[in-house]
Amino acid sequence: MTDPTSATPEGRSVIHDLGYRPYTGARLGEGSIARALAVTGFRNAFGLGRSGRSKVLPFVLLALNLFPAVIVGGVMVLIGLDELPISYAQYASTTQVILGIFVASQAPVLFSRDLRHGTISLYLARPLRASTYALARWAALLAATLVFLLLPIVLLYAVALLGELDVTEQTREAGVAVALAVLLALVLTGIAGLISSWSTRRGFAVVATIAVLLIGNGIVTAVQGISSEEGRSDVGEVAGLFSPYSLYRGLATAWADVDALTPPTSAGMEALYALVLVGLSAACLGGLVWRYRRVASA
Amino acid sequence: MTVVAAVVRTVGLTKDYGPVLALDALTLEIGPGITGLVGANGAGKSTFLKILLGLVEPTGGRAEVLGHDIAAEGGAIRARVGYLPEHDCLPPDVSASDFTVHLAMMSGLPRVAARERAAEVLRHVGLAEERYRPMGGYSTGMRQKAKLAQALAHDPQLVLLDEPTNGLDPAARDEMLGLVQRIGRDFGIAVIVTSHLLGELERVSDHVVVLDGGQLLRASRTDEFLDATGSLLVEVLGDDAQRRMLEALAAAGVSAAARGGMLSIDVTDGAGDVHDLIRDTAGDLGLGLVRIQADHRRIEDVFAEPAGGAR
Repeated sequence: MTDPTSATPEGRSVIHDLGYRPYTGARLGEGSIARALAVTGFRNAFGLGRSGRSKVLPFVLLALNLFPAVIVGGVMVLIGLDELPISYAQYASTTQVILGIFVASQAPVLFSRDLRHGTISLYLARPLRASTYALARWAALLAATLVFLLLPIVLLYAVALLGELDVTEQTREAGVAVALAVLLALVLTGIAGLISSWSTRRGFAVVATIAVLLIGNGIVTAVQGISSEEGRSDVGEVAGLFSPYSLYRGLATAWADVDALTPPTSAGMEALYALVLVGLSAACLGGLVWRYRRVASA
Repeated sequence: MTVVAAVVRTVGLTKDYGPVLALDALTLEIGPGITGLVGANGAGKSTFLKILLGLVEPTGGRAEVLGHDIAAEGGAIRARVGYLPEHDCLPPDVSASDFTVHLAMMSGLPRVAARERAAEVLRHVGLAEERYRPMGGYSTGMRQKAKLAQALAHDPQLVLLDEPTNGLDPAARDEMLGLVQRIGRDFGIAVIVTSHLLGELERVSDHVVVLDGGQLLRASRTDEFLDATGSLLVEVLGDDAQRRMLEALAAAGVSAAARGGMLSIDVTDGAGDVHDLIRDTAGDLGLGLVRIQADHRRIEDVFAEPAGGAR
């Protein structure tokens, strides 16, 4: 700079202008950038790195979600039962409403916000490809959902060990519950993410996701209840394929110690439940990637 | 600066959206420095920038940015190019500081370096204490500065600024144009800046590219646009000065025409002689010669001419 005063066109006082310094340091590749985006997204899902107000909902939901596990812990310590009053796999079904609200309310934070405010164009103008962006956002929501699902299992497991229950049995049951939780997290993340990525309005995304998850589950449960009453549990079995929560319940009944109305009764049906769960998750992820590729070239 | 390498080079670049031909076989070369991209809305400016970023695939032709092919090396281009989009792109609940740090990281800078760079570019664009406030409460001028800061955060070699002065009041516009000028001249970063206001680009850019209906209307140095048109403007004072001067000049074999309060004189054959002739003629007629000046054109004139018909 030849003329230091040119930096202050309005004559504002500046102590000293160092001039422009080029950056000569490291430039990381797409993998590192995607990881940074996923970490930021994970923090944002819990309101971290955002305004104080946005931390309230996720943490209240997280506390509500852990509350039963804490109660169970207290009961175990005080009374000393010889088995957990609620099984690991049952827990997610018990708190499914809280879980649904969490996923529905935080998916728009990761997927709708950038579309709504146009920030997406700044991401796309950077080295990250549209599909990698979608994957990083998806991974962030998946991790946040997993925290929600796995924390209670860890807590219950710790309580069980402190209560000197059989370690082998508890580890096996907790392991199955973790596998089921991963399947559930995959499908919830996929559905909520896909809905949010198609909606620039947060409210719409929240309502639509809750409708699909909770109302869908309500309808399936009603059908299962009626079919069980009428002695046509095969109808209920098929109906269970149509909602993430009923798929989870069905598999949890088959694989763990959970009671459901019309669980899959044959090995083939079990496999179909698992297949639909995984296939739906994969389809949603594919839809997300496709969606952002389209946004990029629009 | 004595750099010669072209920053952008396109050959027959075409984008056909079906009903709309956004770019029509555009072949041009853009060098370092500040290049103004002028055109009416819908002339293909934004499409051109998006193609350069590798976001939109051209339907024909090819292009290189910073020596990288847009079709094969989009990632490498986007790592070293900064982009200020035309429309709004700032989340309201994030501070400019956090936002710039995050986007610097999204360009591949490690966290610590991203923090340093963000602080530096925010200082350069002139966002002081307000950088820690959520951007939702910013004025349009502050928002444009924040957008500019994120475009510079990763020290690009080229920045694409899409209508950076859009919606700004005159003072903020001057400040933004001053910043654009500093980026190109002092920071040594090549700039491509679009605008539909020609007067703005006339002031800051070294080169001007004029697009019209997806076609290249003209590309040349700004001073060539503003070059003498080959005529002189002369103002004379006295009784019936203009008419007498015109007649005298016509008698001397020089074609002239009245234009406002001035005379426009064609000097295509030998400017030196004409200057003397004007002085002498005015002296002989006893007229006061107020001024003789070169008749500069304005960029707007390019549009007034038929396409391709430069000078």
